Amino acid sequence: MTGVIKIPYINLSQQHDAIKDKLMTAVEKVIGHGQFVLGPEVEEFESRFALFCGTKYAVGVGNGTDALIMALKAAGIGPGDEVISVANTFISTISSIALVGAKPVLVDVRDDYNIDPDLIEKAITKRTKAILPVHLTGRPADMDPIMGIAKKHGLKVIEDCAQAVGAEYKGKKVGTFGDIGVFSLHPLKTLNACGDGGVAVTNDKEIQEMLATYRDNGMKNRGEYVVWSSNSRLDTIQAAMLLVKLDHFEKWTEKRIANAKFYQKAFSHLNVVRFPVEHPYEKSVYHTFVIQADRRDALSSFLAEKGIGTKIHYPIPVHLQPAARQLGYKKGDLPRTEQQSQNILSLPVYPELNQENLGYIVQSIEEFYKGRGGS
Amino acid sequence: MRVGYSYLKQQFANIDPYLSDIKKLILSEDLTLGKPVGEFEEGFSKLTGIPYAIGVSSGTDALILSLKILGIGPGDEVITTPNTFIATVGAIAMTGARPVFVDNNAEHTIDVTKIEKAITKRTKAIMPVHLSGTPADMPAIMKIAKRHSLRVVEDAAQAILASIDGKHVGSWGDAAGFSLHPLKNLNVWGDGGLIVTRSKELYKKLRLFRNHGLVNRDEVEFFGHNCRLDSLHAVIGNRLIKEAHFITNKRIEYANQFDEAFKKIPEFITLPPRRRNFKRVYHTYVIHAKRRDALLKRLLENGIDAKVHYPIPLHLQKAAKYLGYKKGDFPVCEAHCRNIITLPVHQYLTQEQMDYMIDCVYNFYKS
Repeated sequence: MTGVIKIPYINLSQQHDAIKDKLMTAVEKVIGHGQFVLGPEVEEFESRFALFCGTKYAVGVGNGTDALIMALKAAGIGPGDEVISVANTFISTISSIALVGAKPVLVDVRDDYNIDPDLIEKAITKRTKAILPVHLTGRPADMDPIMGIAKKHGLKVIEDCAQAVGAEYKGKKVGTFGDIGVFSLHPLKTLNACGDGGVAVTNDKEIQEMLATYRDNGMKNRGEYVVWSSNSRLDTIQAAMLLVKLDHFEKWTEKRIANAKFYQKAFSHLNVVRFPVEHPYEKSVYHTFVIQADRRDALSSFLAEKGIGTKIHYPIPVHLQPAARQLGYKKGDLPRTEQQSQNILSLPVYPELNQENLGYIVQSIEEFYKGRGGS
Repeated sequence: MRVGYSYLKQQFANIDPYLSDIKKLILSEDLTLGKPVGEFEEGFSKLTGIPYAIGVSSGTDALILSLKILGIGPGDEVITTPNTFIATVGAIAMTGARPVFVDNNAEHTIDVTKIEKAITKRTKAIMPVHLSGTPADMPAIMKIAKRHSLRVVEDAAQAILASIDGKHVGSWGDAAGFSLHPLKNLNVWGDGGLIVTRSKELYKKLRLFRNHGLVNRDEVEFFGHNCRLDSLHAVIGNRLIKEAHFITNKRIEYANQFDEAFKKIPEFITLPPRRRNFKRVYHTYVIHAKRRDALLKRLLENGIDAKVHYPIPLHLQKAAKYLGYKKGDFPVCEAHCRNIITLPVHQYLTQEQMDYMIDCVYNFYKS
């Protein structure tokens, strides 16, 4: 029996309903000037986003995947090169490496779901050009050792911050450690457009110029083309709506963190539910709140019956996807990633959840393990 | 009098229905490849009579995905023309294939008599461009393609509703790309594009290809791109598509008025040949003018947004340097670049504006 969903996994309409007038005013402003392609709102968003991250430059692009592809190209990565990343991530981290013609090399993760820096050096070959750490769930990867390894071996670092706008590692925002930081602004992300969007940040003027040219058909100006390229521009209407959301963003992030803390406290007595330890030097922004749970699938069904939406990020690790056949991995190659994919479960953590919602979710999970939904 | 090139302002005259659609969308959570995109794809397919349409994020992406899905990549050659928008050639280069140029004819489309000379062992496809909304000679191109077993991807970015003998552009080749960029005949309010194809197999693959290769939320069949037509723009497209015939007819009407007027001064203005069985949709109205630069300057001074599409042919662009072309390689195209001029021809022009433009051109040559 499936009950009526009382707490959906995601509730965008609630977010948008609260700010709908402001969003529509922003849309109307764009229509007022009619500059739909790379209009002033894109530039304004870029400068505010760069300021927020603490980088010199931000370049708005069509989506997070394109941001990764263009970042890899700007870093000079192409056919014959290898890029080290993880299998426990959204597909586009890895497909972007493959789509620039490079070979993704996958290493295992730690208990915090992020790349295990201790495994990186063993994966480095003569062809390795870059490391692509993912700040999964909004938790920063362990950047100090990663940057140390990159420096020692002369590798580029491109950070996949798709889920981690505003996350910090030792007081510094993610995206600012490597050569380029790449963000997604997809509707399901913490800073979300009402459609596709992405942005890349960097302190390197040359990279900024390359990204700006790549996103715009390789155009320097209307008649002059310096490089062949596709076209992937952050939409002006989306940028206008993102500017509205930026005003609320820090408050929303604080609420996500508070929701996560509530879960962490509640589950600290429940040893069947585990979650990453939060280090004092990191600020996680909880795009997802991912637990590792005994009898995960049964728990997920039980919660669904209780009207609580959950998801799995991600049930099939990238190296075991049909798309990755060409890479030659097999089951057992990344044991921790594979084990986690069996136990992980994402609970609702969005800012609009109230205390009652959170209490109900915790209570339902406790109820499951007390036996009523168990066995 | 001022005659603008862009017509977006007029499109906003009755904005409320659009705004209410956008508001509804924002509150719907249906923000990625949802109902509005499906509805637009269906509408486009109905409009053109081409069975399958796939909404993508831009006309450029439409071409890149079409070429890639047909297996075109590094080591291959694709034949096209140097007088086109950068995206045509950019798309070929982005697949890793080598663009091979063939000169164009007096209609500004690929010169079909020169294609076969450009075919090598590596040639995999022809990418004709229906520039300015004028169809390339598709019957001839398809014959050549068949003879040499080449794929054909039509760049129909500027040519919605153009046709040859009633057969729509985009329905001739294996696949075709359309653009919905704000300045196109059928536009959205940002970037957008469409791929059309008659092949169900290609259609199925392209639907995955534009969305990460995702078969469902958790399973990835092959490494794909992310280039989805934005739902917000599909919402706009769903309203504007109802006007597609009106837009096209109005542009044709104005272009015919220009043609009639300029036929009277053949010593100054040369019109491209107008084949009778071709339906041109005039995304741009491009003619050949004596003393082009002086005319352009005069028109701009008189408040008319005249333009040049395009002043520097692609084989002479910095991006094309590695291809090894030089000045003189494509004499027709290069000569055109020196004397072509584009006049506004959009559907919202008034008769007064039309008369004014014609007068300005007449007066320029009288003085």
